[in-house]
Amino acid sequence: MAALLLRHVGRHCLRAHFSPQLCIRNWSLPMAMSICHRGTGIALSAGVSLFGMSALLLPGNFESYLELVKSLCLGPALIHTAKFALVFPLMYHTWNGIRHLMWDLGKGLKIPQLYQSGVAVLVLTVLSSMGLAAM
Amino acid sequence: MAVLWRLSALCSAQGSRALLLQTPVFRPAHISAFLQDRPTPDWCGVQHIHLSLSHHSGSKTACLHWTSERVVSVLLLGRLLAAYLNPCSAMDYSLAATLTLHGHWGFEQVVTMFIGTFGRKLPRQGFWQFQF
Repeated sequence: MAALLLRHVGRHCLRAHFSPQLCIRNWSLPMAMSICHRGTGIALSAGVSLFGMSALLLPGNFESYLELVKSLCLGPALIHTAKFALVFPLMYHTWNGIRHLMWDLGKGLKIPQLYQSGVAVLVLTVLSSMGLAAM
Repeated sequence: MAVLWRLSALCSAQGSRALLLQTPVFRPAHISAFLQDRPTPDWCGVQHIHLSLSHHSGSKTACLHWTSERVVSVLLLGRLLAAYLNPCSAMDYSLAATLTLHGHWGFEQVVTMFIGTFGRKLPRQGFWQFQF
């Protein structure tokens, strides 16, 4: 099911510059998950750097910004969604990272196991993100 | 504080980059796989298989780098859990150090994949990424 969806996406890719890399091949779940792993890694690293830089450069401390956000009186749904969006890349990278470490031990390298562990990682990501965002 | 750690990690990366100059194009496939085949009655346990593609002395450094990357990843997992359960300033420092190192090495892997190691171009590495 996921493979069909990804194949559909790949076929309709219109960017001529990337089409040799993106459009002529059938996208697979392990490939997309591997790209997402690197993408989330870069995003998280940039986030940590930004957090550190803003701690150095911006006035006030973390508590004052937390108070600022609280004083905006945003709806709980919006806050929950924002927390989910923040924690989702972290959880995805963590669970997929554990999958990578399992591969480094030599376990789960057969193709069906790849797909099974991939789906397991996605499910775990969604569940743990929802759990952490609800805290 | 996190920024200072990041800067210091960047400085130490220059030193590690000098070491990596001796390594060949590919990071050697130092894969030690625990293979447990179909268990027969007289199978006595696990089998180690070491595959090392490089013959340079620099391959030891690259092997060490590969292993260190995995060790830091596992340490970071433990740190995240421990930092939530037991917040203290020592935990903050070790988390900052581990996170910075892991992020730096990870970013280096991505850059190597698309741009290549020092002085070498690996334009097709992106191709192999998509293969997996």
